[in-house]
Amino acid sequence: MVKMEQPGPEKVIKQSAYDEKWWNDWVMKGGWRPEAWKIIEMKDGPTLTSLKTERFMIIHRPHANMFNHSYGKVSRFFEGLLEGKLMGTKCPKCGLVYCPPRAHCFNPKCRLAETTWVELPKKGVVHSYTIMAIAWPSMAHLQPLVGAMVRVDGTNTCLPMTMRDIDPEKVNIGLKVNIHISKDAKGDLLDVYATPAEEPKAPKRTEAELKRFREDMDKTREWVKKTFGTKTNK
Amino acid sequence: MANKKVAIVAGAISRFDNPRHTLQEEMCAEAVRMILDDLPNLDLGTWVKEQDTAACYSYFSDILEQQQCMHWIINDYLGLSGLPQYRVESGGATPIDAVVNAALWIRSGLFKQVLVVGWEKMNELHIQKVNEAIAIAGDTDWDFVSGFTYNAFYATLETRRMHVFGETEEDLAEVAVMTHNNSLDNPYAQWPAQHGFGKITVDDVYKSRLISWPYRLYECAMTSEGASALLLTDAETARKYTDTPVWISGVGFGSDTMRPGDRPDNPAWKGLFPEDEKLWPGHVERPLSPYPDLTNFGAFRTAARLAYKDAGIRNPRKEIDMVMVFDPYAGVVLAGLEDMDFCKRGEGMKLLREGVIQPWGDLPCQFSGSLTAQGHAVGSTSIAEVVQVYWQLSQQIGKKWGAPKRQMSKARRGLIQGHGGTGCQAGVVILER
Ligand SMILES: [Zn+2]
Repeated sequence: MVKMEQPGPEKVIKQSAYDEKWWNDWVMKGGWRPEAWKIIEMKDGPTLTSLKTERFMIIHRPHANMFNHSYGKVSRFFEGLLEGKLMGTKCPKCGLVYCPPRAHCFNPKCRLAETTWVELPKKGVVHSYTIMAIAWPSMAHLQPLVGAMVRVDGTNTCLPMTMRDIDPEKVNIGLKVNIHISKDAKGDLLDVYATPAEEPKAPKRTEAELKRFREDMDKTREWVKKTFGTKTNK
Repeated sequence: MANKKVAIVAGAISRFDNPRHTLQEEMCAEAVRMILDDLPNLDLGTWVKEQDTAACYSYFSDILEQQQCMHWIINDYLGLSGLPQYRVESGGATPIDAVVNAALWIRSGLFKQVLVVGWEKMNELHIQKVNEAIAIAGDTDWDFVSGFTYNAFYATLETRRMHVFGETEEDLAEVAVMTHNNSLDNPYAQWPAQHGFGKITVDDVYKSRLISWPYRLYECAMTSEGASALLLTDAETARKYTDTPVWISGVGFGSDTMRPGDRPDNPAWKGLFPEDEKLWPGHVERPLSPYPDLTNFGAFRTAARLAYKDAGIRNPRKEIDMVMVFDPYAGVVLAGLEDMDFCKRGEGMKLLREGVIQPWGDLPCQFSGSLTAQGHAVGSTSIAEVVQVYWQLSQQIGKKWGAPKRQMSKARRGLIQGHGGTGCQAGVVILER
């Protein structure tokens, strides 16, 4: 008979400050009771040819959440961010290198082989990009914000990240980049960003496209200025 | 191969708009009521007794609905408690998945009829939270928290298409002009409900705000509320209701990686479509798996080829008369036409530029206005598109739209494609009269 054992209890190695009480109170706040209501009138009906005026009551009903999430067997990557390291995994059978890492190789030939950890260079190449005029609220002050799918050197995958210190007009596919990890890493992918590692060469644009592009960037910066004051990224 | 023929005998839409303020179950009841109006012989009272009918429910987000198991409410509200029911959920692919599943259920012989009902509520949360609820269909550890929204991911896919194949901002704007103007006679569409009934131009698209370059507001799907319903039956049952059913002659579905960044070197796709790998241009570094890379949607390809095999279609460009590509973003129309073999890879823009996919061309696409103009009430979207193609093929556009000039008289076969995520899952349904 093979001996069984119990996996727990969990042993905390280290942890960052967490005001658990404050967050628990926040999670419970609201609790689905209506905060307010309004009664409105609007036309409705199943087609635009059959509308009738209807009366609706609308409530404002809050609830909040906090997820206690484990990064599982790829936790090493996120622990790496706390140490300023970029970690990936490598399949011992087929040699594919993953960042985002996988604990098991997804090459069908490898029969879900377990991978091993490798430290990756903080360098890569832009595989594709966009310029966000609507970014996450926490990053809205950085708009227009370049988002790039970056192939980390030596990997077989692309990692999405934002770029800094680049004129949005100049970002292009093939641009070599340096990858940085925030000094105050929080432990998610937003800790990672890229800057150009070479003089960027703008993609070809017609005169009309370039004019429109610049107008779009100006409008976006104006909005940022109006919303957040004068501190913009340009 | 099909062991049972599957017929569509009725379809209905409760229009897309935002907000609708009407409850999910009420919008679903509006749609099912229209089916009951169309089929005086239909007696819901016999369904529970006979146990030969199932209900297949389609909605995307428990978060947007503020309700888990919303379909239990719908099923109850429609008076169908006691009926075998189930729900499908696969992001944006949810409603096409529902139609595919319902068709397979009938083919299995277990059920004579399947009622498919789809809906979505998208106006209850702050718009940022709506975007979040949609975006968490992306990998929440690796994609969602990179700072990218879905807008941004699709934009990087399109940027890659522009770089590799030479698609232009004007192509994207032209697609948006086509979809918006297509929606103007459609009484189920959100665009005219909110913006009126005048045509738009490329300049109007350029004037719409930048979302995530190269995509502008008018090139992105609307967020919508609405519902739609379809009644599918086997061939024998169809005769009870109609002499002119439309047949579901082919279905297919497929998948690709969760994260688009994992596609360029994906070992599972390497060498799978050599003809498309050959079309990789010399000026761009060649990934290990050049198809689909980020330029195309491999899941559309596998889903479509499965459906063509199922329907016995050899040359989709010749044998299919109208197409509805699931287009959360304008460029997906062009990529989708390539992936579904309507043209070679990189030539979707040619079909657009030559007018082939316009209402007056020989492969009209997106005639309802699709996601950018009819709207995108996620769980309802592709069911509504199937309904629209069903109305075309059964010559009901005059009656259902009140716009007989929009009826395509000669069309025999139509294709409806749907997908979720960044093409993580796709489905294709082929209708035939
Ligand atoms: Zn391997």
